[in-house]
Amino acid sequence: MSDTRARMRAWWQQLAAIMLKEAKQVSRDPSSWIIAVVLPLTFLFLFGYGISLDTTVIRVAVVREDDGRDARALAAALTDSKWFAVVAAHDRGSGERLLQDQLVKAVVIIPAEFGRRLDAENTTAQVQVLVDGAEPNTANYVHAYVNAIWNGFLAARGLERGSPRPVPVSLEARYWYNANAVSRWFLIPGSMTVIMTLLGTLLTSLVIAREHERGTLEALYATPLTRGQILIGKTLPYFLLAMVSMAVCVLTALLLFQLPLRGSFLTLGLVSAVFLVPALGQGLLISVTMRTQMAAAQLGLMTGYLPAMMLSGFLFDIRSMPPWLQVITLAIPARYMNVSLQTVFLAGDLWAVLVPNMLFMLAVGALFFGLTWRRLHKRLD
Amino acid sequence: MLRDPRARGALILPPIIQLFIFSSAATMEVKNIALAIVDLDRGPYAADVEQRLAGSRSFTRLPRYANVAGARAALDREQVVGILVLPSGFSPDLAAGRPASAQLLLDGRRSNAAQITAQYVSNVLADEGAPLSGLTGASEALSTATPGAGAPGSTSKPNAEVVIDNWFNPNLDYQWFMLPNLVGTLSLGVALMITALSVARERELGTFDQTLVSPATPVEIALGKLLPPLLVASVQATLYLLIVTLLYGVPFRGNLLVFYTAVLTFAEACAGVGLFISSLVRTQQQAFLGAFAVLLPFALLSGFATPIENMPWWLQFLTTINPLAHMLRLMQGLFLKGASVASLAQDLLRLLEIALCTTAAAVLLFRRRAA
Repeated sequence: MSDTRARMRAWWQQLAAIMLKEAKQVSRDPSSWIIAVVLPLTFLFLFGYGISLDTTVIRVAVVREDDGRDARALAAALTDSKWFAVVAAHDRGSGERLLQDQLVKAVVIIPAEFGRRLDAENTTAQVQVLVDGAEPNTANYVHAYVNAIWNGFLAARGLERGSPRPVPVSLEARYWYNANAVSRWFLIPGSMTVIMTLLGTLLTSLVIAREHERGTLEALYATPLTRGQILIGKTLPYFLLAMVSMAVCVLTALLLFQLPLRGSFLTLGLVSAVFLVPALGQGLLISVTMRTQMAAAQLGLMTGYLPAMMLSGFLFDIRSMPPWLQVITLAIPARYMNVSLQTVFLAGDLWAVLVPNMLFMLAVGALFFGLTWRRLHKRLD
Repeated sequence: MLRDPRARGALILPPIIQLFIFSSAATMEVKNIALAIVDLDRGPYAADVEQRLAGSRSFTRLPRYANVAGARAALDREQVVGILVLPSGFSPDLAAGRPASAQLLLDGRRSNAAQITAQYVSNVLADEGAPLSGLTGASEALSTATPGAGAPGSTSKPNAEVVIDNWFNPNLDYQWFMLPNLVGTLSLGVALMITALSVARERELGTFDQTLVSPATPVEIALGKLLPPLLVASVQATLYLLIVTLLYGVPFRGNLLVFYTAVLTFAEACAGVGLFISSLVRTQQQAFLGAFAVLLPFALLSGFATPIENMPWWLQFLTTINPLAHMLRLMQGLFLKGASVASLAQDLLRLLEIALCTTAAAVLLFRRRAA
């Protein structure tokens, strides 16, 4: 009885020793503090201001070859619209040059005879729009805006002549959880996931690789520490570091970016802690697999950070990806974290959403830790 | 470093895999939309709306729910992105020529996908008020029975149209936009990482002092460190060029000489930043973080993910000193737009200025730290 208790105490003391050693190493290194506080703030700032999917004013050139009333009215409708900043171009050639030199995103050409063709019954009046298609997203917005202005112009013209167009079906769109459909509101929770991945996966990926590269890994193995102690001792300081920076991120999001928090702080903490299990696990797995820090860093970047950016639904909708890629995203913890964070911030503590996502994260995490455990074992032989 | 076959593999293979995966992932198009439908109308017009949505390629699933509460649970679980509510009275109103309205409830957590979905649905509904061509026999009888609904439609001008012509990318293929961007962004990562870790690694392993006592001067050593990334970047760029044009069929309309000049200048600019970081720090972990702290803003403020025009003016100003922003404009110009050398010269010149600055700063710092 006392024997097992003594052993337990020894186990805890050893664990405390390695944790203290790692914690000292982390806290003595000034860069750790930069990482925990300065880096997340900078990133959140950049994400918050730098990334926006809300299209602002688009520069458009208008070439008006017709001097008639209708042509002027259409040009005026384009100029008055809040979506476009209109640049007048004298002729087609100069309009096309503006487009070629990337000075405008589109050229609207109202051709000669436009008004007459519009009045006559048997001719077709055409408005030509040249759009810079290189960036399809903006091009699609230009399409939608031009069409809306065109329809408004036709309706106004019809009204003037006493022949109103039929009232179409109106659509009242309402955005739940994000009434103004501000893209920042869904991008900031995603940014937090990226920052957490950076801290959890990238930093830990260097932890054991560093010992290996410096040749101190054998020394570590020679100590009476067990595998479990090494694993916990190596990860816990990083866990705490990541939680601190998560807190910094949350405060910034709430105070600076006015993000609502409709769930509770407790849930937010729980979700973050759960996410760190797979994030840290992945970092450790990379760390025991790679022999140099350089290689570990590269692998961490490729399997941790980049997927968190590109495949997690942060910027690009997962359901729009090809099916084989959607399957790959199932193994990416950041995916589950994004949904969970967006839900806690914008919707509230919806356990029906959170519990399955947390279970997935834990499952992926268990897999990573299990593999790490086995690899550490092999090294010992 | 190039002698190590594993390192060599790590430099060539992963970027290619990334090119494949990310070019498929990075799309702002919204496809495979799942939209819940709550049909409280049960009339012919509601059925027609549903049929038209089902006929559109964008919508893959249109589950029906008896009431909004049931649909909302599906929305909460992210099974659907929105709920279209067709209220009772929808069909009778339309049939009588009265304006009708439908409600669309969207998941604001995915505001971008939701907004695009709203666009699609409103396109489908906009046609609904016009003469009902898509309707079945029964409802055609409805619209002819109420002449009021058909008459205004016929007075609208069918002889006026907008013809839209998409330059540079006629089908608005998102991959055409993404692939040239990835060519720039992926070479940024490689060039920066190689140099950032180079000196820090030697310092950490203690081989740095050995290099310093060799007959080479610090400036020579620094320049030597800047060479490998240039080599790697040009090899990678060649590979990317082949894959992007041959495999993906993205046109390359520019000048090859300009392409390689851009790649080398850009790699030099990034390598300079990397070496600067490497001279500054003590451990590889710090170097890695430093590189990262630079990499992320470069990538975010380049127009890679979201347009520069959407940013506030002070961030737009910062993009002018971001080498990647210039590189991406060059790549777009070279691949899609076939821009003339003269119109690319401005970005190329800026890139050269940045490269000179970063290299000079890196070599100076390196010499000071080495002394």
